[in-house]
Parts: sequence; C-alpha cells; structure tokens
Amino acid sequence: MRPIERDLLRFKEIVRGEVKKKAREFLTREELFGQVEGRLVSIPLPQLELPKIVYGEPLGEDLGLGGPGTDSLGPAGHVPVAELELEEFLDLVGEALRLPRLRPKGEGEVTEEAFRYTTIARKGPRGLRHVRRTLKESLKRALITGEYRSEEPLLVPEREDLRYKAPRSKPRPHAQAVVLFALDVSGSMREEELRLVKTLSFWITLWIKRHFPRLERRYLLHDAEAWEVTEEEFFRAREGGGTRLSSALLLAEEILKRYPESFYNRYLYHFSDGENWQGDTPVALEALRRLLPTLALYGYAQVQGPYGQGRFLEDLREALGKEEGLAATEVKGKEDLPLALRRLLGG
Amino acid sequence: MRKELRRWAEILRERALAQGLSFPPVLFEEVGPEEMAMLAAYGGFPRRYPHWRFGSEYLRYRETYRYGLGRVYELVANTHPVHAYLLKGNTLLAQKLVMAHVYAHADFFQNNLAFKPIPKDMEAEMAHHAAFVERAMERYGARSVEEFLDLALSLENLIDPHALYIQRRAEENTEERPPDRLRVRPYLDPYVNPPPEPPREAEEGANPTPLPPRPTRDILGFLARHAPLAPWQKGILEIIREESLYYVPQAATKILNEGWATFWHTRLLLPLLSPEEALEFAELQAGLLAPHGFNPYRLGYLLLREVEERWDKGRFGPEYEALPLGERLAYERPTGLGLKQLFQVRTVHTDLSFLDTFLTPEFALRQRLLSPEDLPRFAEAKKALLFRLTNGGYPIVELVDANHGNRGELLLEHAYEGVELDLKKTQAVLENLHRLWGRPVHLKTVVGGKETLLSAGS
Repeated sequence: MRPIERDLLRFKEIVRGEVKKKAREFLTREELFGQVEGRLVSIPLPQLELPKIVYGEPLGEDLGLGGPGTDSLGPAGHVPVAELELEEFLDLVGEALRLPRLRPKGEGEVTEEAFRYTTIARKGPRGLRHVRRTLKESLKRALITGEYRSEEPLLVPEREDLRYKAPRSKPRPHAQAVVLFALDVSGSMREEELRLVKTLSFWITLWIKRHFPRLERRYLLHDAEAWEVTEEEFFRAREGGGTRLSSALLLAEEILKRYPESFYNRYLYHFSDGENWQGDTPVALEALRRLLPTLALYGYAQVQGPYGQGRFLEDLREALGKEEGLAATEVKGKEDLPLALRRLLGG
Repeated sequence: MRKELRRWAEILRERALAQGLSFPPVLFEEVGPEEMAMLAAYGGFPRRYPHWRFGSEYLRYRETYRYGLGRVYELVANTHPVHAYLLKGNTLLAQKLVMAHVYAHADFFQNNLAFKPIPKDMEAEMAHHAAFVERAMERYGARSVEEFLDLALSLENLIDPHALYIQRRAEENTEERPPDRLRVRPYLDPYVNPPPEPPREAEEGANPTPLPPRPTRDILGFLARHAPLAPWQKGILEIIREESLYYVPQAATKILNEGWATFWHTRLLLPLLSPEEALEFAELQAGLLAPHGFNPYRLGYLLLREVEERWDKGRFGPEYEALPLGERLAYERPTGLGLKQLFQVRTVHTDLSFLDTFLTPEFALRQRLLSPEDLPRFAEAKKALLFRLTNGGYPIVELVDANHGNRGELLLEHAYEGVELDLKKTQAVLENLHRLWGRPVHLKTVVGGKETLLSAGS
C-alpha cells in the first residue's frame, strides 16, 4: 500500500470513530435529515482539527487591498467536514446505538425476474433496434459484396442487417418491505412531541431501507377516524378531536391488503400519547391480535403529551406483551430517543 | 517525459538563463492527478512521516480534482536539483507555461536571501524523518506515536522563524550545548547527547542562571531539549520543528515568489506564442490572475510590474518622493533600471518588506484596489495587511520562564498587538503543553482588554 493510502485509511478510521462517538448527537441533528436521501452525508467534525494558538478573529477586514484569505496564509477558520457514504454512516450509527439487524421474515424474500437487455437478437420491436450493431452488419455486408465505396460511405441497412437489443432474464432474490406510519393527532400532540415522532420515523425509515432497499412508505393520521395522507402532511402540526386508536389499526389493515405478507415485510408504526377512548381499547387490541402475526413488527411509541400519559401502553403490554413482533416503548424527551429507536426496531 | 516537452524545457531554460535567471538543474516529471494530490498533501515531497492529516489533505485534493473544482498544475520542491511535477494531460502550452514558471521559482529559491539557510537536501531529510517515525511506531505502538504527533503538531507554529538565521557567539552556545557534544541530526541528538533535565522543584537559588537564559520563541526546540520525554518523543519534536522551519521562507515569500514566477513565465513565453496559442495563453493567464478574493499571483505580479515601470521611468529617489501624489503619476525620467531593480527585489525582500516598501497609494489607486474616497484610510488598510503577513499570520508567543514561581512551571507570553487569541484553541494547546511538560503551564495574554493569565494543569 502506498503511504498516502495508509494515511487516508487512518483518517477514515478516525472519522468513523468520531461518528460512532457522536451517534446519539446525530440522532437529533435535523440538518442531516435533508441530505440523507442522497448518497453522501457531510459531517462536521471540529474535533478533528489540531488546535493551534491562533488569533480569535479574522485579521482586520481591509479596504480591498486584499489580504490572505481563508485558504492561504494565516489562521484559517474552517471546520473540517468529512463525507461518508450514507450506508456506511448508517452502519456506524447503527452499530453505536446497537440497532438490530432486520431479517426478511419468512416468505418476505421475493425472487423476481430482473430483465436486462444484454443480448442481441435478429428480431424485435423497433424501439429496441440496436443502431450500432445494425450498421456494423450493414457495413460487413457492403464490404463483402463490394458495394462499399470509401469516397461515398453511405450505408443502407437491409432487413437481414437489423439487430435488436434482447432481454435476458435473470432471477434475483430481493426482499422488499412496506412501512406504514400512523400518527394520533388528537388534541394533545404538539410541536415538541411531533419533533420526536419525526426524528423516530426518519431513522426508522432509513434503517429499514438499509435492509430492504425496495421500501414503500404509507402515512396515515387519526383522531376518532383515520385517513391516509402524504409524507409532508404527516408532519404538519394540527389538532383534532377525540381518540380512537382502533381507527388507525383498521385502516392500516385495509391498506396493508395491497401488500401481501408473502411478498412484503410489513412494518407498522403507531405514535400516540396513549389516551384512548374508554370503549375503544378492546377493539384496538382485537384488531392487533389479527394483525400482529402478519407483520414483521408492530411498533408502538407512546409520546408523553403536555397533559401526562395515557394508559394504552400498559393495556397493550398486559394484553399482548408476550407476542412476538410487538415493539412498544415510551418517549418522554430527546434523551429517550436512542433506546426508543432500538426498541422500535425490535432490539 | 515526452520528447516535445523535453525540447521545450531546454528552450525555456536557455532563454531564462540568457535573461539573467540562475538556478540549479531542474528535473521535470509528469504525474497523474492522484499522484499530484499525494505530492500536494505531502507538501511537495514523495515521502513524509505517517499521519492522518496527510490523508485528509490528499482526499481534499483528490475530490477537488474529481469534481472539476480545481487542479494543481504544478508543484516545485526547493531541493538540489529542483524537483518539479507537471500534471499529466495538460496541453503543451500549459506545460510550457508551468515550466517557465518553475524556472523562475528555482531562481527564487536559489537567490532570495530568506532561503539561504534552508537545507537543499530536504527530500532525504523528509525520508529520514519518515523512517524515524515509522520505527518509533513499530517499537512503541502506532497509536501512541500518533497521539504524540497530534500533540506535537498542535505546537508546530511555536517556533522562532528566525532560528536558522541566528549565529550565536561561541560562548553563548557553550551553556546549552557543551563542546564535547557530538554533532548529529537534531532529532537524533537526544539519543547521542542526552541533556540534563531541569530541576523539578528547585531549591531557592539552586538554579542561578534562568532557564531559558532569555525569552525565546523557539518553544519546540526548548521542549525537545528540556521536557521530561523519551528520546523518541524528543526526536519527533525536533522533526516537527525542523519541517516547520523549512516551510517558513516559503510562507513568508508567497506573494513575491508567485509574482516573480508569473512575471517570468509571461516574459519568457509571450514572444514564443503562435497565434493559436495566444488565445489559450490569455485564458490561462486570466484564470491565474483572477481578482476574486486574495490572489498572491495577482498582487505579486502587478506589484513587480509596478516596480519595473517605476524604475524604468525613474520614478524613485528624493526628487520623485517630494512630488505631490497627482504629479507623481505623470513624472518621467527614463533610466531603464527596471529589470535591475527587480532582481534586487527578488534577492532581498520577503512579502512583508516587499509590500511595506512598494505598496503605495499610487499603486492602489491605479490597480483599483482602493477608491479615491477611501484614500485617507490607505495607511490603516496597509497596516492591517502587513499585520496579517507578520509571523505567517500567527500570534507571537515567547517562552519567558521554565521555572515559573520556582515550581518548574512554564510561563509563556503572547506579544499582544491589539488582536486577541482564540481562547478555546489556545486552551487546548496549553493542555497539550501541560501533558508534554508534566507541570502546570501558563500563558500571559490580553482578554477583554485586560491582562490575563491562561493556565493548564494548575
């Protein structure tokens, strides 16, 4: 290995170490949320700077005489930034927070036919005509028959010259998943709780996607009734009426019919302050009994609202605590996020 | 190297010599972008000691090139012979420009007084340093050596930039370096000539000569001789110090050196351009001299042209100086001394003295660095610029006492000039110093207008 590669590896190793050390901090850094759909994540790492005795302020702004800028002489004031591939970044954070690896459940592994146009055929649709190969054949024929004249190199492909791109099918195993987020918007959820929900659902999505690149997402809101919304609407603060947790579960059941469990790893996440209408809890639990065996996970996060805590979490644990695939947790504030995230992912 | 390039290297070399430049042999080598990124990260040398910050720099150069945000056209190392690297894939004209540029750098290295005491075999020195650090890593563990390097590198600007120019009188030397010592490379010194350690908790009056005998800016050097460290650690301090000192004249002459090289590549190449090349040359030149931000090429080049013109037209001397500003611009007394004056400037000046001497209000007005309304503030603006160039833009810090309060503590002093220190970083450096020295460390400076003592370890 060239020495510079060794130095580069060591640098990357240090960056990884820093990311792991700061994993908890990254959880709540909303500026990360924007870039994470991309491939690279930029991470500010001021602690990677070797400190020096330098001036505290940029040395006098002058009158256009021009002085050393930030990248030449003088104390430069930039914060070092490291870039990491999203997948690597997620793995590091996942490792630091001990997030569980997700496994395709049962038949969730799908073998799908992936068509790739890798061969050439003599017949095919117009749209798949392979121009270069066709002209090549045409040229060959013209050369053989002596029709080709270099001073006027015009090629007119004939029927026998036509070549087409042809598919060759290759079965590839591919696990896919669907994640459905349900949010209780009855009176008691406010900005602060919503932010916790947003953070959790953001990381849950990323982590599931890390394991099932083919991930579909659905969002629904509910108070006494449930309705489906877009991702954007999901995170908009609003207030509603009373609460029927069952409404969300029943709508989820409906939506999930489009994602048969034999083809999808189905995840359902439900955020609520746990204050349910008295008569509704048995209905909700009944719906869950039906749903649970078909899900990879049912994650229930009870967020503490301004008026204290409801009791659905207790009821849920009492009734279904022993069932597999139930991941229930409570989130009172930012400091609970790492543990809540781990629990919600089945850890 | 391609035959065509070699032919041009020879043509340009002869032209440069004929016009009065003088330089040692220059070895050109074409390298790819990755190798160029490596050389740039390593400060112009093919081999440096192992450290992650080179990796970080390498990545930065590599990505900058990959995304088309900038490229390193050329690198020159001040060695004998001079090693110069050209970026493979550049057009022939770009390579010609770079080669002419490099000959002027080589001339500058050889003739500018600031470079006189700089060793010319630094390539070998850097390789020795690398081998020394690698061996230390094998013996004492890569991590502990790396940690020590991190520590030492945070002190790399705590040197006396004039250390190589100072000739101490013999008897002054005897106190710190007795004559029975063997002369070896500095970083090997702690092995060959182990120094006595300073008294930890000295008795009152037990140490009649103060340590250091007079305040010194050579804090790294002092630590390498006196800190309670293992020989390999002292060796590393010496290495960091030596490499820092090596880069001092380069940093101190950046504007002048780049201006000089730009002046000469223009002068050598312009008469040789074919009509097709003229356009490409103009484009390259425009990129190099772009006025956005601070551009040492631009400032150095324009100011050297100014000096040439002024001396050609006799715009100097008491008669000229006595004229009011308006009349100076029209004054003419042809002498043709321009080029002679330029060679003089190249020999004796650093950026600081160069700008101090030649950056005049006339120049600032003419180059539109300054609007006429701002003229009254010229002196202030110039002062600010010169301040930034002083000591490479770093605060000046001296070690005053290594037995502060008679408790073996270090006392440093910042020469406060109206600009305060970055307290967070300074504190981190003091903690590092404390780890090295083993006893409390203090730095006298000014915070919020008041004299303050920053401390670590007490």
